[in-house]
Amino acid sequence: MIRRLLHYCSPRARHLVIAELSLVVVAALLQGIAFLLLVPLLRSLFIGDLNAASTWLIAVAATAVGYVVASWFASQIGMQASTAVLDSLLERLGDSVVSLPVAWFSTDRTGLVTGLATQGAMFVSTMPYAILRQILAGFIAPATVLVGMYFFDWRLALAMTVMVPIIAIGYRWLSRRIGRGDHAHSLAVAEASNRVVEFARAQPALRTAGESSIADRLVEEALEHQHKEYRGLLITGGAGIAIFAGLVQLSITVLLVVGAFLAVGGTVDIATLIALLVLGVRFNEPIVAAGELGGGVAVAKTTIDRLDELAVVPRLSEPEHPATPADFDVEFQGVTFGYGGDPVLRDLSFIAPASGMTAIVGPSGSGKTTITKLIARFYDPEAGTVCIGGVPVPELGTDVVAAAVAPVFQDVYLFDDTILNNIWIGDPDLSRDEVIAAATRARVEEIVARLPGGWDARVGEGGSNLSGGERQRVSIARALLKDAPVVLLDEATSALDIGNEIAIGEAIDQIRADRTLIVVAHRLQTIMTADQIIMLDGEGGIREAGGHAELLAQGGAYARYWRERVDAAGWKLSRHD
Amino acid sequence: MAEADATATIAAEPGGAGSQAKSEGLFGAVKSSLAGIIVLAVVGAVSSVIPFIAIVELARTLLPTIDGAPVDADRVWLIVLVAAVALILSFATAFLSGVVGHFADAELQHSLRKRIIRHLQRLPLGWFDQRNSGSMRKLVENDVVALHQLVAHSIQDVLTAITVPVISLVYLFIVDWRMALAALVPLLLVLLIYPLMMRGASEKYRQYDAATQALSGATVEFVQGIAVVKRFGQVGRSHRRYRNATGEYSRFVGEWTRETAVLFTIVELLVSPIVVLAWLLTAAVWLVANGGASPVDVLPGLLLGLGLTAPLMKLGSSGQFLRNAAKAQESLTAFFALPPVTQPETPQMPEGHDVGFDDVAFSYDGEHRVLHEIAASCAPGTVTALVGASGSGKSTLAKLVPRFYDVDAGGVEIGGADVRQVAPGELYRHVGFVFQDVQLLHTSLRDNIRLARPAATEDDVEAAARAAQIHDRILRFERGYDAVVGEDANLSGGEAQRVTIARALLADALVLVLDEATAFADPDSEASIQHALSTLAADRTVLVIAHRLHRITSADQILVLDDGHIIERGTHPELVASGGRFAAMWADYQANHARSLPEGVQP
Repeated sequence: MIRRLLHYCSPRARHLVIAELSLVVVAALLQGIAFLLLVPLLRSLFIGDLNAASTWLIAVAATAVGYVVASWFASQIGMQASTAVLDSLLERLGDSVVSLPVAWFSTDRTGLVTGLATQGAMFVSTMPYAILRQILAGFIAPATVLVGMYFFDWRLALAMTVMVPIIAIGYRWLSRRIGRGDHAHSLAVAEASNRVVEFARAQPALRTAGESSIADRLVEEALEHQHKEYRGLLITGGAGIAIFAGLVQLSITVLLVVGAFLAVGGTVDIATLIALLVLGVRFNEPIVAAGELGGGVAVAKTTIDRLDELAVVPRLSEPEHPATPADFDVEFQGVTFGYGGDPVLRDLSFIAPASGMTAIVGPSGSGKTTITKLIARFYDPEAGTVCIGGVPVPELGTDVVAAAVAPVFQDVYLFDDTILNNIWIGDPDLSRDEVIAAATRARVEEIVARLPGGWDARVGEGGSNLSGGERQRVSIARALLKDAPVVLLDEATSALDIGNEIAIGEAIDQIRADRTLIVVAHRLQTIMTADQIIMLDGEGGIREAGGHAELLAQGGAYARYWRERVDAAGWKLSRHD
Repeated sequence: MAEADATATIAAEPGGAGSQAKSEGLFGAVKSSLAGIIVLAVVGAVSSVIPFIAIVELARTLLPTIDGAPVDADRVWLIVLVAAVALILSFATAFLSGVVGHFADAELQHSLRKRIIRHLQRLPLGWFDQRNSGSMRKLVENDVVALHQLVAHSIQDVLTAITVPVISLVYLFIVDWRMALAALVPLLLVLLIYPLMMRGASEKYRQYDAATQALSGATVEFVQGIAVVKRFGQVGRSHRRYRNATGEYSRFVGEWTRETAVLFTIVELLVSPIVVLAWLLTAAVWLVANGGASPVDVLPGLLLGLGLTAPLMKLGSSGQFLRNAAKAQESLTAFFALPPVTQPETPQMPEGHDVGFDDVAFSYDGEHRVLHEIAASCAPGTVTALVGASGSGKSTLAKLVPRFYDVDAGGVEIGGADVRQVAPGELYRHVGFVFQDVQLLHTSLRDNIRLARPAATEDDVEAAARAAQIHDRILRFERGYDAVVGEDANLSGGEAQRVTIARALLADALVLVLDEATAFADPDSEASIQHALSTLAADRTVLVIAHRLHRITSADQILVLDDGHIIERGTHPELVASGGRFAAMWADYQANHARSLPEGVQP
């Protein structure tokens, strides 16, 4: 456990933790020795030898001073160690997350990473000081006393030693059991709170259903399950602690009985016996407490497990010497890809020529967005190749692809920063005026006009002060600024108002002039004016491809699709439909 | 028990007790267990002292044998028996007290979560518009769990921290008052230094919470922004923001620990067994040498004096948890105090399905009116469109009908009955609504469709799905209607929207409130959604929140809202002819709309 923790520490944190734990061991040893000195001291006191008692007292005091010094430094270093470990953990977490492939983020990982960064890291960083220290002291000090007892009375020492392996086994068993139960329990907790959140979110729909609806049953079942798992955890955990503490108590009882037996038989030094009994009874509490803290170690272990899991998520392969693309054609050659399940794209081939606009249309789920994600190298295909400028993307490497491709996706995420800074990301080398000029070309100034603060208005967390369509306009401005030769655009579907639609349309006209533009197209205008339309068939392949007029003239699937869309655009809501 | 007690932050405070009284209501479920926890904890604490007294007695019995006296074997065995029994008893009762406490806590958590669910069901729907799932999750997950410390640990810890020192001191004063005084010294030192240590702590805790909040925000941004930023070749940026936040956080934690470290370590060392032992031994040796005490008389002071401070320290280290528990208690109490939707005393039955707004005024906050003197009526079987700029109040007005909010003045009537006077079950049998936010549950598609009518037959469900144009799509899933949303039923936005329309069809309410924007959830299934909406709207009293003006040219009535007032009303031709605000909007809209469509397509 300590080794696994140190693995995630910076060198400084590692040294501090090792220094801290060494001092803790020293302090625990001194604690054991001080208690052992109690035996000769009490004996001399009981037989009335006050001179000897005073000498032993000085020895105890000296040990206590040593203990205080060691503990003082242990705790001062320990506090620095906690902070250093915290910082290392957060840094390692950040490095790990940054190096993960984008695909990993396709499911929502916010809760996981935030949990690790806040509670997880804090818990682990305080563990050496708050938990390990007590566990070490709880075991080392009694162990020292136990070893020392052999010098005073080997029979009593032996009686205690017999119990040691049993207690040790009990302890291991206890921590493992708690760890296991904890896992099942946290799954049930996650399920139950998901159900409650769902239940709250769906309230408008559920009011119609009244009480004791299907949703009520679902949420109640989840709560019952959580309750059952928690009780189960209490029972396994409780039984574990009961058995462990029971064993410790039993060993004290054994000591008492053996001691009494020897005393009655007259074969033991009474003063030693009393002193040893004092030690035995006194040390029962810290051992039991240390045992209960084993659960804390198990909890810390889950955080480290999560970090380990992040570390082994497969990364995309990177070339040693990244190639340079000749031009910026984008080509799919027999590409097959699925998200772990059935292929979304099967043996797909097409070319999107440079300086032209390719529109991708097709039923939902046909893999339109997947195509753009493969070009941006969120994933590598299972079979076939995606090439930019004739070079397979894996030979270009993520950095070259990132430089060549500017994506504008639907799920645009903006930083909680000013609107201008969010665009500036596209090319930090430009001046403020240049950025504003570019942004104005993407008609962002219309958005800016309605925001208090203008260009320096903050966009809110994730861009929440802007509508979906407006976020996409900011994102387009960013892409324009970046001036990458390949632009991927997943047209917003939530661009409700006409103003957004027009702005996005104009931006597309600017982009397509001298770049490879690949659009997942929804707007009729975009589709119609594309140089090439690729219509997917919903089974991973291409149904039809060609120009708008050409495809319309064919009178096939595209022509039907087009008519339906045009009809939809003219739809009216009335009671006589 | 899997939680590590006494861990997180290093400093601690004994707070929390003061806020206990006001939340009586929260702990109803565990009252009956309370007596058990208390009795067991006290018995456990008392019997934990007995083995030490037994050892003293053993010493009293055995020490004379050093000088050659015979051993009183019976008495020795009796003492051993008493000690062993006390050991087992103290262990068993303390353990049982913990068990009872933990199970009471389990019951409490369970009952609180169920209560949260019940309360959610009675809150006004409008409340959910303003909540994010994060705050809901915090309530059921973190807050309920935070109470754990209070029920499962604190009672026992407090009782032990009081009982053990009191019994020990009483015994010590009886045996030898001077050793008793000596044993009291570390205890008093702790009580003196502790408040010093806690000075300014609550302010620090507030700052700590703020720092955690900031870190959490930066991490959310880091994770959610990374997918975008990574492809912009700007990884350094999101990473730097994250690193700044983590640096800030660990600097704060570091500073805080440094500030508290010195005093904390001093207290810890003062009460550490070794320092106390050295002190008590000094007192003991001095008393035997100079005070005429016998060695046996100083023994109890040594034995029990060592154990006085440990329970108190344990109490101190759980302060952090108590503080969280007190905060959680506050937010739970606040949640349960939210006023539920009022229930009519003598419920009325709507007769017919016309909708009337009778001089309605409404504000979200009780101060700033967003709707003024709205008077309108919608006849059965007609379509009424609500039009206006965003912020004009059109969505708010629509949401008054299904009682998302209650009016400040005036009334909303359905079939002649004020919606506030209609029993909620009855109301939602009459009023259905389809808004933009799709509310699908993580369960089978069948159950999602028949959510409002669990008794609906297979045929009913299928008919609704057909009418909503989603039946064929559902059959394409391997499990068909048994496919589970979020598992094997992966629906596009438009498809999910059609499932909710099927649900509304099955519910068959005669008054329908819908948002026309629903149709844009998925451009590729726009036509299907439109068909579904048209089917849904047929023969019902429809109120539609309109965004695209050409969609509502044949509405029976258009209400134009501006700043919470109805400024114009009439049919499309009437309004256009009158040359007012709507006519201007229409002209503007037509100009823009024509530009957004390809040539040759008529708007």
